[in-house]
Amino acid sequence: MIEAQNILKQFGEPAQTVLHNINLEVKKGEFVSIKGRSGSGKSTLLYILSTLDTPTSGKVLIDGIDISSFSQKELHAFRNLHIGFIFQFHYLIPELTALENILLPPRNINKIKEYTDDAHKLLKRLDIEDVTNKFPAQMSGGQTQRVAIARALIMKPKYIFADEPTGNLDTANGDTVMNILIEENQQRGTNICLVTHDPDYSKMASREISLIDGRIED
Amino acid sequence: MLFLALRQLISKKKQTLLILLGISFGTMLFISISGVMLGLRVYISDALLNNTSHILISGKENYVDTSKITELISNKDEILNWITPPIGKKDEAKINSYQGWVKVIQETPQVFGHTPRLSIPAIAIKGDFEVNMKIVGTIPIEQMKVSQIEDYVNSGSFKNLIGGGNKIILGDKLARDLGVSEGQTIKIFNKDSFFTYKVVGTFKFGDDYIDGASAFANLNDVQMLNKTPGRISEIAVSLYNIDDADEIAQRWSILSEDDVKNWKDANKMFMEMIQMQDAVRFFVTFSVLLVAGFGVYNVLTIMINQKRHEIAILKSIGYGQEKILSLVLYQGLFLGITGGIIGMLLGLTLTTIIGNIDLGFQLGKSNHLLIDYSVSTYVLALIAATISSIVASFLPAYSASKMTPIDIIRGQV
Repeated sequence: MIEAQNILKQFGEPAQTVLHNINLEVKKGEFVSIKGRSGSGKSTLLYILSTLDTPTSGKVLIDGIDISSFSQKELHAFRNLHIGFIFQFHYLIPELTALENILLPPRNINKIKEYTDDAHKLLKRLDIEDVTNKFPAQMSGGQTQRVAIARALIMKPKYIFADEPTGNLDTANGDTVMNILIEENQQRGTNICLVTHDPDYSKMASREISLIDGRIED
Repeated sequence: MLFLALRQLISKKKQTLLILLGISFGTMLFISISGVMLGLRVYISDALLNNTSHILISGKENYVDTSKITELISNKDEILNWITPPIGKKDEAKINSYQGWVKVIQETPQVFGHTPRLSIPAIAIKGDFEVNMKIVGTIPIEQMKVSQIEDYVNSGSFKNLIGGGNKIILGDKLARDLGVSEGQTIKIFNKDSFFTYKVVGTFKFGDDYIDGASAFANLNDVQMLNKTPGRISEIAVSLYNIDDADEIAQRWSILSEDDVKNWKDANKMFMEMIQMQDAVRFFVTFSVLLVAGFGVYNVLTIMINQKRHEIAILKSIGYGQEKILSLVLYQGLFLGITGGIIGMLLGLTLTTIIGNIDLGFQLGKSNHLLIDYSVSTYVLALIAATISSIVASFLPAYSASKMTPIDIIRGQV
């Protein structure tokens, strides 16, 4: 469960307020989409909820624990084990093969062997077995994004944060990505927070949160 | 992270090769310059040690001390003025307590060998030719332990002096000036009498001043020649490790009135030259490695700028600061060590080639440059290459580790 309490986020000098006093609760197993126009602060909210960014004031509680009380080390370990990120760009490491990219999170805790089987299963499930030993430059856009999703799923995280994961994809690939997310949410009960400006994809979520100018629209 | 570090380097083959080239070139230069310079130093110090030794103990000259005499013959309250103040020497320089010194030397475990010597001026005569020279009486077997003299004997052998019997080994130029060669006899004039000596060899140190005015003979013969049986003027001592000379000489110098000099004090000018060489050697190396270091810095900085997003993603997956730091440092380390090793091999090749060039003239024992191949130079070169690369990679590594994923993803860095 993620709770956001009175989140205020300001940028720059003089301070521009991007998020105004946001109160939000993402319940266990929920699939939440955050929609809004560009500049509405939806990505900023996602990064604050996902521990990557810190609010100017206010608190984020994950499973009841204030994440500002985490040390850098604890935060890294928490992200490693419990959070999966999917971005608009795949951000795969070009020098590593698909399999090696997927195994990056377990590599951080020296558990590659334990997760190799899972990685192969994911490759199969996402229908990208044929790129297992290929480098990102040798894959298509849809394939790279699916490898990136596999990398986000490998640790079986409790939370997945996706920032416009379909933004660079055509409709067919976009649909595939959304289906994977829905499947993950329904089968494993993974909490998913999705930022998108595509109304159709937004509707697929169990709850939609609409941001307008840094405020939640009721 | 080593795995990813290497992958990234391999994917940038051209840059990596260029930097490796830079580092190995620096290392190679250091090794070649050191090899030649240290080789030259061995040559110089060998030559120097033939004249002196690691430590040379010699008797003080016994001058007449005017003020002491004044004190002895005058009353306290009268002032005594000399018309001609007493000047002179009471005796030749000699070591008074040879046995005492032998005891001290034998009790010092660092000593490799030692020999008593008597060094006196004499005139060598052959027919109408006369040459002033210094004749050094020594114990041949011991002298050969104290210096590399046998290597410089170019006809006959230093061993011929063993047993004595008025045999002499002349400097190469001295022999030529007298017009004699091995097997002939010459006359030595000292203290109003002549002795006949048989020339049993010649030596060539390469210094005309020494080669033209010095000779070696058995200690007993020289003592007879000087009419002072049992007298010695100096003790030459060699050590297992030349670097101990300083400390031992200092310790011994307080034991008696005799002069105790280590070879460095005896050859101050040459030591200064060697220090200068060292300074040049290190300066050159430092400059080259500095340039190589900048290369490493450059490549890694560019690499990090190109890989900002990947660093961000690694951090968002949970890779901590120290992991990112080590990712970049490993690359620097790899560049340093690999470049260093390649440089060591190149340096070895280059010095071997230089060492085989025929100079066309005699330098010491051969007509090649003497090259020093000591392991310490190679170790030092590798360490220098590695350290300069690590230092150069630290700044880029640190800035990479400080990047926060959110700044990069937002595109504000």
